[in-house]
Amino acid sequence: MTPDDMRRDVRTENLWKIYQQASEEVQAVRDVTLTIQPGEFTALAGPSGSGKTTLLNLIGGLTRPTRGQVRVADHELSKLPNHVLARLRLNQIGFVFQAYNLLPVLTARENAEFPMLLQGVSAEERTRRVDELFARTGMEGLEDRRPGKLSGGQQQRVAVVRAVASKPALVLADEPTANLDSASSDALLDLMDELNRDLGVTFVFATHDERVMERSRRLIRMVDGRIDSDVIRVG
Amino acid sequence: MLQSPWSRIGMRNLGRNPKRTILTALGLAIGFFTSVVMVGWTQGLMNEMVDNATGLVGGQIEIHDAEFRPERSLYDTIGGRDGIDVDQVLAQVSDDDRIIAVAPRVYAGGLLSSGDSTVAGMLMGVDPEREVALSRFLDDLTAGRLPQPGRNELVVGTEMARQLESDIGDELVLVASGADGSMGNDLFTLVGTYRTGLVEIDSAFAVLPLEDLQALVVLDESRIHEIAVSTQDPWLAEEVAAAIAATLEGEALGTEVVPWSELNPAIVEYTALVDVFYYVIIVIVFGLAIFGVANTMLMATYERRREFAVMLAIGATPGGVVKSVLYEAAAMGLFSLALGVAITWPVMVWWHNAPPDLTGLVGDIEMMGSVVSLTMQVEYDMGFTTMVAVALMLTSLGSALYPAFRASRVPPADTLSGL
Repeated sequence: MTPDDMRRDVRTENLWKIYQQASEEVQAVRDVTLTIQPGEFTALAGPSGSGKTTLLNLIGGLTRPTRGQVRVADHELSKLPNHVLARLRLNQIGFVFQAYNLLPVLTARENAEFPMLLQGVSAEERTRRVDELFARTGMEGLEDRRPGKLSGGQQQRVAVVRAVASKPALVLADEPTANLDSASSDALLDLMDELNRDLGVTFVFATHDERVMERSRRLIRMVDGRIDSDVIRVG
Repeated sequence: MLQSPWSRIGMRNLGRNPKRTILTALGLAIGFFTSVVMVGWTQGLMNEMVDNATGLVGGQIEIHDAEFRPERSLYDTIGGRDGIDVDQVLAQVSDDDRIIAVAPRVYAGGLLSSGDSTVAGMLMGVDPEREVALSRFLDDLTAGRLPQPGRNELVVGTEMARQLESDIGDELVLVASGADGSMGNDLFTLVGTYRTGLVEIDSAFAVLPLEDLQALVVLDESRIHEIAVSTQDPWLAEEVAAAIAATLEGEALGTEVVPWSELNPAIVEYTALVDVFYYVIIVIVFGLAIFGVANTMLMATYERRREFAVMLAIGATPGGVVKSVLYEAAAMGLFSLALGVAITWPVMVWWHNAPPDLTGLVGDIEMMGSVVSLTMQVEYDMGFTTMVAVALMLTSLGSALYPAFRASRVPPADTLSGL
């Protein structure tokens, strides 16, 4: 991957995801065509079952489309074998999950360093990046704690550090504030906004949290697997 | 943090459910204990069996006339005017450091009578002093003392004494064919009885001084039937026999040097069979263990499906996930091994140095023409112990293969969304 690749946009074209549940066919994503420009701070909003998480998973290469294409950093994801997809996720995409999903046997620092270890980043560089991001996120002094010894907000901040420390082109966040109180949610949104503006990291959220929608600079509403509205806001 | 995160994740995962880890490790550790102790005990029994089969009466090596076996004829002797110098051979053979004792013997079939009782037996002429150093059956007589040369004394097995209804001090008539064709007979005094536990010996062997038997069967005193040799280790017998044969080559024509393994091939075959049995023990013990450990690993990895999904989502390859599970299994194996050694070692040392005696429960056991006392005598076998340790590690790793494969195939999106 070249730095230029990392700056390229995310495109979906006529994207479909159909699940077979027992004898019933569930169309989770229906004919979605979408382009997300580098540096965007985008929210995918909609009620439960609207297809926002599935769309996020398709963009992140966590699941393959039934039809259509997903292009990330100029790679057509549905054609990539699993190990190449894994490599692409490692180098191009960061994930933040609703349930934090830190690895419980690793400390906060080790969790944050995990993708960089897989990338082969030197120990010195890993330490430098994590120290810097922990300082920005107010996590100083908590580096050696395991997730079980951190609050929900602190864990989600570690998850954000883990997502951005490996310098991805894109961070996908699935309901990142759903388990947080309002103060923690605001602090987390401030952090991601800051990282978006300062580092140019593209953020795409799946959310039904009004605060996230308000803070986003592009709001895509989904209903029944389709894009219902797509509003770009100046902010 | 280590360069590879997989080893650290694998090892730390062991500590997440200490009770389960300890129980699983105990299963493997007990498998290790069972294998090592069972084989150590079997080896102890085998060693005792070989030791008794060779050390009780026979000796580990026999030197005799090439024609002596299998008929054991009175006429197939070594020594005499034209033969080897027996005293010189005894001295020569004794020079080898691996040899404990050397003793000349004369054999003759005969009848022993006391009152109305008569039994057929094997008359064994020995040098009592040399014989006691070589074999064990005369070490602790159940009654009386060893016979002295020139006094027509003998000792017999307790069973023969019972059959002859004789006791210490009684006179027995010995009748045997002489080497000159005559029928030798004489009166001997019973001065002692021995007991080996083997009825075929206790009822058959009458032991008297070499020169007394030579006189009875009219055999020249320079002629004997056998030189018995005992070695420090029965398993050295073949090597020592070859060395003796090389020493005697040229000056003892017509003699053969035979190790016990050739005289008693059934025991050699039996020990070879038991060696195979050791592998069967490993396969059974760890074959059973692998299912238990695999079940535990499968449960443990199933509980962590979400973590594997996260690893895969953030860029780990399926191979990386497999590695983390295998590192965990390797750590489990090492922990189990340490636990196994901690349990096994003290027991092995105890049972090697002071084996619990179970003979009170079942008495002595006759096996392959030898007598074995049932004690928990164990022998160390570092080669086999290493093999069991390797089997334990392979069991641990082998049992993790399927769980590791399953973990690497976790679908990230479905798993993270709770499907």
